Amino acid sequence: MEVTMALFITKRLLMALATVLVVAVLAFLLVHAMPGSPGAVSLGAGASQDAIDEVNQRLGWNDPLFTQFFTWLGSAVHGDLGVSLIDGRSVSADLASRLPVTASLAAGATILSAVLGIALGVTAAVRGGVLDQLIGGFVGLLVALPAFWVGIIFVYLFAVQSSVFPATGYVPFEVSPQDWALSLALPVITLAVGGAAFIARQTRASMLEALQQEHIRTLRATATPTWKILYVHALRYASLPIVAGIALQFIGLFGGSVIAEQLFAMPGLGQAVQSSVSTHDAPAVQGVVVIATVVVVAVNLVLELATKFLDPKLRAS
Amino acid sequence: MKLMTTTGRGSAAVLTGALLIGSLAACGGGSSQAAAKADTSSLTLAIDSDSASFGYDPLRVSAAQRQFFEGLYDSLMTLQPDGSTGPGLAKEFSYNADNTVLTLTLKDDVTFTDGSKLDAALVKTNLDRRSDPALSAYSAVAKGGAQEITSVDVVSPTQVALTFAKPQPGFEKNLASTTGMIVGKNGVTDTASLGATPDGSGPYTLDPSTVKGNKYVLVKNDKSADASEYAYKKVVFSVVMDPQARANALVSGQADVAMLTSNTVDFAKSKGVGVTQIGGTVNTMISFDKTGKTAPAFGQEKVRQAIQYAINRQALVDALHKGDIPAWNALPKDSAGFTKDLETKFAYNPDKAKALLAEAGYPNGFEFTIIAGAQTQTDLQAVQKDLAAVGITMNVKMAASTDEAFAAVATTPLGYAPLNWDNPVGVMYGAILNGFTNVQKATDDQLSAATGELAAAKDDAAVKAAATKLNTRLVESGWMIPLYEALTNQGYNTKKVSPVKFAGTNAYPLLSSYTPAS
Repeated sequence: MEVTMALFITKRLLMALATVLVVAVLAFLLVHAMPGSPGAVSLGAGASQDAIDEVNQRLGWNDPLFTQFFTWLGSAVHGDLGVSLIDGRSVSADLASRLPVTASLAAGATILSAVLGIALGVTAAVRGGVLDQLIGGFVGLLVALPAFWVGIIFVYLFAVQSSVFPATGYVPFEVSPQDWALSLALPVITLAVGGAAFIARQTRASMLEALQQEHIRTLRATATPTWKILYVHALRYASLPIVAGIALQFIGLFGGSVIAEQLFAMPGLGQAVQSSVSTHDAPAVQGVVVIATVVVVAVNLVLELATKFLDPKLRAS
Repeated sequence: MKLMTTTGRGSAAVLTGALLIGSLAACGGGSSQAAAKADTSSLTLAIDSDSASFGYDPLRVSAAQRQFFEGLYDSLMTLQPDGSTGPGLAKEFSYNADNTVLTLTLKDDVTFTDGSKLDAALVKTNLDRRSDPALSAYSAVAKGGAQEITSVDVVSPTQVALTFAKPQPGFEKNLASTTGMIVGKNGVTDTASLGATPDGSGPYTLDPSTVKGNKYVLVKNDKSADASEYAYKKVVFSVVMDPQARANALVSGQADVAMLTSNTVDFAKSKGVGVTQIGGTVNTMISFDKTGKTAPAFGQEKVRQAIQYAINRQALVDALHKGDIPAWNALPKDSAGFTKDLETKFAYNPDKAKALLAEAGYPNGFEFTIIAGAQTQTDLQAVQKDLAAVGITMNVKMAASTDEAFAAVATTPLGYAPLNWDNPVGVMYGAILNGFTNVQKATDDQLSAATGELAAAKDDAAVKAAATKLNTRLVESGWMIPLYEALTNQGYNTKKVSPVKFAGTNAYPLLSSYTPAS
């Protein structure tokens, strides 16, 4: 059993590594397909050809593609993603300062949407009737609300009218945990609204199916406490699609947090992408692509492992 | 044992909720406007774009970024609170007899962050970068520019002479903006270093807590003799691109000052913040083709006048630019040449537009294409409807590339752009009469004469007379088809900051002008 699991994890790790490598190659080639050279971008349109050539030479731009890629890969493995063509700063350092912002947003919104979504979904499935319809209508409304609009409303209510939360800005955790939580509150709620609705629907459908199962009926007949039937047995049976939904939410929110970052002026990866694409800062773009891929691949890996753990049939296979 | 009744539990829940919200409000309350105290420790400005998207080379940006770079760099001349030009790194200046050479006498006690000192050689090294077309600040003084500098010569360690291609009286005004900002020796030698590290002698230096693209933190520069003229020990430029978010940041206390768009002004005022406004930028349709080369109809003045009558400017502003001002004048309302007469003379009148088209030989209208960008598309669609109502078909085509957008001056009869008339003579000579908006080389004697009169005007009365003539003719001739004047708005926390003042007609207040509320 342990050997099978170890083999499974090894295979998945290798697959994940291969995926990251393929994306890194693609990002590298796309950057090279862009017009202009790093020298021209960093020195500006009016720079002399000699100066551009000198910078290109220094950056190894004239080396064969293979050499360039493996040099970049070697540095990337050691955490060095190169330097920005625009300001000469370390791409790794810049992304390292931005990653916690986006990760906090995505993780916070995922957790909140999961808690709300599961609560709503389970309640709708178990209670049924009018409450199910009400929750269905409410969830339908949440799905239809654009995140940007939701954010504006929340800011108006909780920042402008009542000053409960800050309207903009991000405070790092190490500066003040309390201010960090306050600065994240509104953007996290903004992002969580749509996700909660999605997970609620997923949960309701899965729970309805779970509640029809033979073993649940048996448990009911044996006077097992209702909470145990619902939250231990039925929810576990229903959990596979819910967990998948939550993981997809995280991936989506990680990429989609750009809306919240813009609305709340937060220095995350979304803002970095916007800035580096608009200034043709190739190493920065390449760095964001690779980091985002690593996150997505890692989440998928965790999802697969969680699925394996949750489903006895899969675990045995 | 029952500790509470249902009602009691409900009341306790409400009380707990209220206390929770109260305590949270107290946590954030330090930043709320109501609780803010007037102090000089810090000033946060919410701005609409990344001031240093291309790093900290002040010459890679234009006047719109002057306020931010004013903190880091000193200029050869300075913009004064009344809009005039005063001494800066150059404590004195003089022209030769025919105004072709400007000699600057430099201060001798200026130190840059790299430790280097100001001297004439450093100024020359800075200005000799003017051939680099990437340096926006130098676009006008480079070879072929309207105010071309042909050479920069070191006269003595503290004197430098600028020689022009043609007489340039009043050129010193250019040196009060980013054009006159001087970079220290290390920065100007290794310009790539300016991407990450500023090298100026300004009243502030960049603090390491800066987060690129998000917030730029400036702290007082002890080596600057002028630092005492700046009230705040720390200035934070907070980049908040969304207009509503900027207003929210101001109202809720995250920012002390914010650049507001006109449609968020009422909201901000309703929440008790102060707002100072200034006009100056007229969004104008510009007739590129006055000779009829790309669209024969545009060769006739009556056709261009018909377009003036056909556009419902008030409706355009009400629908798309609430808070801004509909414009029938080419020059802004605060300029000397502004006249109310044009508002009635060219008031919305589609019947008159149709009649003029018929007189010009186009009773059934005509068709042409205009190139739009992302910012102008909606306005152009509104104008398109008005023109269609009088029989003119204006096809709005989105520019597929920057090249296509620039080429439009030669390939299409009409364009649309915001024009800042801070320097009307410069705009006329640099862009309208001889510049890029007149590729077909059209002439108008009245416009040329009025521009010449304005350039030569010696007193306010003469300036007013000439500017009014110029403004009136620009509209009558249809060279300019103004749509609306955009206001620049600075919102400020009245409890913390004194009313914001603009320096003359400059749309960006001096950094030194922000002071604590008294």
